[in-house]
Amino acid sequence: MPERIVIVGNGVAGIEAALTVRAREPSWDITIVSEESDHFFSRTALMWVATGQLSHRCIEPYERDLYDRMSFRRVRARAVGLDLDARELRLAGELPPLPYDRLLLACGSRPRPGPWPGSTLDGVGHFVTHQDLQWLEEELHGGPGLRGGPPRPDAHLGASTDDSPYRFRRSLRQQRGGPPQRPAVIGGGLIGIEAVEVMHAAGLHPRFFIREEWFWTVALDAWESRWIAERMGEQGVEVLVDHDVLSLDGDAHVTAVSTDHGTFETDLVVVAIGVVPNTGWLRGSGLALDERGGGVLVDERLRAQPIDAGDSEDPTDLGVFAAGDCAAVRWFDGSVRPEQLWYTARDQGRVAGRGLLGDTARYGRGPWYNSAKLFDIEYTTAGLVNMNVAGEANWRFEEQGPVRSTSRVVVADGRVVGFNFLGRRWDHSVLLRWIDERRDLRWVLDHLNEAGFDTELVPPLRIPAEAKGAPLQGPTPSGVPGPIPPPVG
Amino acid sequence: MDLQGQNGLLSTFREPWRNRGLVAVGTSGLLVAFYSLLYFRDPLGVAGTALDPEAWARAVGLRSRWLLYGLLYSVAMIGGAAYYLRRHGNSRYHRVRVAVNVTVQLALAFTLPLVMPYFFTSDPGQFWKYEYYFSYFWPLDWYKLHPGTLQNIPVVLAVYSIVGALVLVPLLAYFFGKRWYCSWVCGCGGLANTFGDPWRHLTTASTASWRFEKRSIHTVLFVAVASTFLLVLDHLVGDRHPTFHAAVAGQWWSLKSLYGYVVGAILSGVVGTGLYPLLGPRVWCRNFCPMAALLGLVQKLGRFRIRVKPDMCISCGNCTTYCEMGIDVRSYAQSNQSFTRASCVGCGMCAHVCPRGVLKLENAPRLQSDKARQHLPVVDL
Ligand SMILES: Cc1cc2nc3c(=O)[nH]c(=O)nc-3n(C[C@H](O)[C@H](O)[C@H](O)COP(=O)(O)OP(=O)(O)OC[C@H]3O[C@@H](n4cnc5c(N)ncnc54)[C@H](O)[C@@H]3O)c2cc1C
Ligand code: SF4
Repeated sequence: MPERIVIVGNGVAGIEAALTVRAREPSWDITIVSEESDHFFSRTALMWVATGQLSHRCIEPYERDLYDRMSFRRVRARAVGLDLDARELRLAGELPPLPYDRLLLACGSRPRPGPWPGSTLDGVGHFVTHQDLQWLEEELHGGPGLRGGPPRPDAHLGASTDDSPYRFRRSLRQQRGGPPQRPAVIGGGLIGIEAVEVMHAAGLHPRFFIREEWFWTVALDAWESRWIAERMGEQGVEVLVDHDVLSLDGDAHVTAVSTDHGTFETDLVVVAIGVVPNTGWLRGSGLALDERGGGVLVDERLRAQPIDAGDSEDPTDLGVFAAGDCAAVRWFDGSVRPEQLWYTARDQGRVAGRGLLGDTARYGRGPWYNSAKLFDIEYTTAGLVNMNVAGEANWRFEEQGPVRSTSRVVVADGRVVGFNFLGRRWDHSVLLRWIDERRDLRWVLDHLNEAGFDTELVPPLRIPAEAKGAPLQGPTPSGVPGPIPPPVG
Repeated sequence: MDLQGQNGLLSTFREPWRNRGLVAVGTSGLLVAFYSLLYFRDPLGVAGTALDPEAWARAVGLRSRWLLYGLLYSVAMIGGAAYYLRRHGNSRYHRVRVAVNVTVQLALAFTLPLVMPYFFTSDPGQFWKYEYYFSYFWPLDWYKLHPGTLQNIPVVLAVYSIVGALVLVPLLAYFFGKRWYCSWVCGCGGLANTFGDPWRHLTTASTASWRFEKRSIHTVLFVAVASTFLLVLDHLVGDRHPTFHAAVAGQWWSLKSLYGYVVGAILSGVVGTGLYPLLGPRVWCRNFCPMAALLGLVQKLGRFRIRVKPDMCISCGNCTTYCEMGIDVRSYAQSNQSFTRASCVGCGMCAHVCPRGVLKLENAPRLQSDKARQHLPVVDL
């Protein structure tokens, strides 16, 4: 008898799992439930649709006939509850519950709501969901780009709930008679700077409120961040660091942001202070959720746990898995929290797919790496950076000239444990190998260009001998509370 | 200046003239009309009227409409290059490449053919023998290896035609990929990458279009090679076989002129360039150019490839969208697969626009490890 697989989530975790199952089981019944959109799209690429660099269609990684070709059934509705004993997923609206043999929760994140008074005023929104994108496109440009918006944008509204992150926000464009004049972004992280860039591309000059002393403290140090802030300043962005927001003011719609350093007029606010697991609808279902963050607690095979299983080695098999942003997994430092990254969501989806097939694959989180682009400045990181490694010291180098770049190498115990780069491209897989091989700083600096990944004709990075021998500097700020031990070989 | 940033792309899908708006349709109409007049001057019967491109050429003091075309071509390329540099000039690869493109066009595809005849003859009837385009090779310039052509031009040029087409072009393609020609030297590629650049995102990346491309381009290659062979045969035995001669070269409907009309005029000119604003700038290069087909085959065996940095792709689609050849670059990038596609002209745009620095063009021996790099953090118990 074919198994009935139900997957909540049409994001990267959900679709990768579905494809993994389909690759081996042509006849299983696979249903994908998604409230947000008909098609899988790259959440990571929302900003380029908002600017107009990409169309809605461009950010769909597969052709639209994927669901037919793979015989994935789709349900465009909000899941509102789970009956673990009956093995049924409850849906909003008039829809009958969906029975399953195995279930995957890949329901991602929702934006962290602003904790301040006024956070629900009209004109205040986020930049995480497809509906957020459509709202921002409406506010900034009066609608989607020239090659059209998503198909059936409203299809989920009949089977949704008021607290859903996939509801539309009311646009103030009509009322204002045009785009916002003084938009604001709150939150100095990656989504924040992307929202800033979207506004800048629309010809606006946003204010960027950052609570910390510099932009993106979790990833950059003050020295690196200075360059990014400078670049934002050149582009007409008003970067306000060390500004703690106290309230968002206005009667019906937002008119000002009040901070500990004064009040600033505004007519549009994007709150980008992080995301939280999109798991509110699972409360009360009997699934164990991480108390602090709300992620679905999973074992190393990404199986969700019942609340009453305690610390038992072998929990009852609920037939429920969780993957991607909504799953709280164990990190290298021992903490349990969601990873909130594209490649980990993809990898977890594949592992969960194996679980749905009945395999005993387990998720082995590798070392940390990532890259990004901050305005036009490339960023690459690998290993333990800003992580409070016991006894860490930092080597820094700034390149000026036709290429501007910064390099930072974190050393602990005489060995290189991390890299942070701006302005050039690097192959993190090589950097991670060096960390694994426990190379020392001198060796790494002598070989650094072997990890270079710049486009052709870009001159390689040259580090003068005296810079290689420059004294190391102390530890950098950290989001990790206690010092973590340096990795052992 | 930062060498890898990106600028000017941000508004692509908000500019009507770049997305099949009225201006795009109008521009396309004008281009189609221009190419029709240029290539079908005689069948259209415009000779002697105000629409006669020969008359326009004389009016600006040029020998023929082809030189006028060369002039307009150069102007379009210079204008397009300025636009291109404004958009992508922060990349050194693009700065150098487009500079080479424009230089080749101005020197080898306009000035030399214009002035060379004056050095060798004073008889206007002989000019064509010295109006030699050094940057075009057989089979793109299909006439270059015709016995009739080879016989009549100076020996040095004939040798250049033969060695260029049969040795130089494929050899360089083996080491550097077809890009050395298609996006550094070739005039068609040069125009596509300058004047055509505003519309590069219009090239479709659908599977259906890939299927069409593979069929159509290899068909044209076959026809180009086979017809060249028949023309050589005709040259050897044609006068003894009048029917064969008529079929191959003698009449307006024979193979030779049909090839000229269908491939040279319609596919490369009217459709290939005329439809830039509607279908993207590489319709000809991708679907019909016999030279691209040939170089693509060499490229598959050669050293050029696009290297993919593992596990860093966020599937955003910038690479696929801005690929002018309709290659779904993202499908390779997101599966950690370094690759060489026959159609890739190595323009370098995917690597440039990738916001995560995942892609790198390189000329390097194949790596065994390419496939093995598909890492998955799955451990089987
Ligand atoms: C603006 C932005 C930029 C980002 N940039 C990067 C980046 O550069 N690099 C990086 O690594 N990561 C980035 N991320 C994070 C990355 O996008 C996520 O980690 C990843 O998309 C998570 O995928 P997922 O499949 O777990 O969930 P999601 O993509 O969030 O998918 C959730 C799915 O669940 C469905 N769903 C949720 N709840 C319900 C319900 N109750 N009923 C029915 N359906 C439901 C939704 O419809 C949706 O299909 C970015 C995120 C944002 C918002
Ligand atoms: S542009 Fe880069 S990140 Fe985006 S899909 Fe292509 S390879 Fe991946």
